[in-house]
Amino acid sequence: MPVIDQKNVLKGLTVAEAMRRQVIAVDTGAPLEKVIRFTIKYKVNAILVTDEQQQAQGVVTKTDLMGAYYAGLPLETPAATIMVGPPLFCRQEDSLDAALNTMRSQRIHRLYVHGEDPGRAEGVLAYPDIVGLLYRFCRRCDRSILKKTGGQTEGEFAGHLTVREVMTPGVESIPEVKSLVTVMEKLAANRLAAVLVLEAGGRASGVISKTDLILAYKHGLPLQTPARQIMSTPVRGCHQDDFLAEAIEEMIFWDIHRLFVAQGEPSRIVGVLSLSDAARFRSGTCRACLVSRIAV
Amino acid sequence: MSEMARDVMDTRFHTLNPRMTVAEAVGIFEQASEESGRRVFGMLVVDCDGRLVGMLSVYDIFLLLRPKHTHIWGEMADLDLHGLLQAACDRARPVLVGDIMTTDLITITPDTHLLLIIDIMIKKHVRRLPVLDQGRVVGIVYLSRVFDYLLARLGG
Repeated sequence: MPVIDQKNVLKGLTVAEAMRRQVIAVDTGAPLEKVIRFTIKYKVNAILVTDEQQQAQGVVTKTDLMGAYYAGLPLETPAATIMVGPPLFCRQEDSLDAALNTMRSQRIHRLYVHGEDPGRAEGVLAYPDIVGLLYRFCRRCDRSILKKTGGQTEGEFAGHLTVREVMTPGVESIPEVKSLVTVMEKLAANRLAAVLVLEAGGRASGVISKTDLILAYKHGLPLQTPARQIMSTPVRGCHQDDFLAEAIEEMIFWDIHRLFVAQGEPSRIVGVLSLSDAARFRSGTCRACLVSRIAV
Repeated sequence: MSEMARDVMDTRFHTLNPRMTVAEAVGIFEQASEESGRRVFGMLVVDCDGRLVGMLSVYDIFLLLRPKHTHIWGEMADLDLHGLLQAACDRARPVLVGDIMTTDLITITPDTHLLLIIDIMIKKHVRRLPVLDQGRVVGIVYLSRVFDYLLARLGG
């Protein structure tokens, strides 16, 4: 039975209720080409690296793969060469709150979940999984903005969080003629997952994420390739005054990692909203939920 | 009667190239099904030198099409899902075969015994096995062909 049928507040949730039970892993000798293929195929941001006994040895993230591309490592390089380890674990019965604290203090985006064998991953908890769980609560809630179908007064909308309250302010951009090297340097220097790509007139024409970069790596594109050649289009966006619940629904429903947030004109981008931002916020999508917010 | 892979393998089969797009691969799946008179659910992927580098099955394509968060919105019966399949298809079309193919392959030779083939299919949950002769792909054994062959023997 879904957890949302048994509980109606966010307090007291455990890791077991938000984690994914499918762990995507490769062995230490697997080439980076395979690691990239698994990130694309299984739509994950990191791959666990295990030894022959399925004991966790490390993690390779899209950031690590981007670094390998930047450093010119061959695609045949074994995963063990660039993995970061050992991976951090939590237990299924740990509180979601404690897991989030660990993720924040360690500046990591996921924790692996172990059972009786402390070295063997039985699940994984990542930011999108947490926000997914919160979204399920929000959608079920009688106060949910997602249930409103028009005819409401402004008062009924009060208390619902907007995108601007949760987004990461500021956005980095790059002219579309610049090389992938420049893109990667910008991402790394600012600890970002994506940059906007601008055409000559300054209008945003696309987005380059780490996923686009590691695909370029896999396809053997030289580092001097111009940004426009690999950018994704269109730029998916929302307005800073949009309701957070609707923005989250858009991302979950359409498989979008982030929305570029506009103020006034759609072309005036002032921030980025990702599922990770929403998860770090540790609450549902309206102030009614703050009382039952996961303790900060 | 030799009862080996060579007795049940198909020696005429289409292959894919790792640099083809998924959209192009789907076209070849259709062509292969039409020409062989039965639905083809998986194909071998060979490089420009004819070397086997992977296999693409419908499950690989399903994985690509499957949205990441289906476990969240899958329980919400009142969601309007209009446009979702189209969006998934649009995203999948330009992806290359080499980006999603399976490379952990189990191969057999023309002299692999039928009972060993059955054993591999049971243990590894595979429905097709590439047949290599000195490193070159010479055929493919489909579960359906093995079944047809065994039915004839069992019945006789």
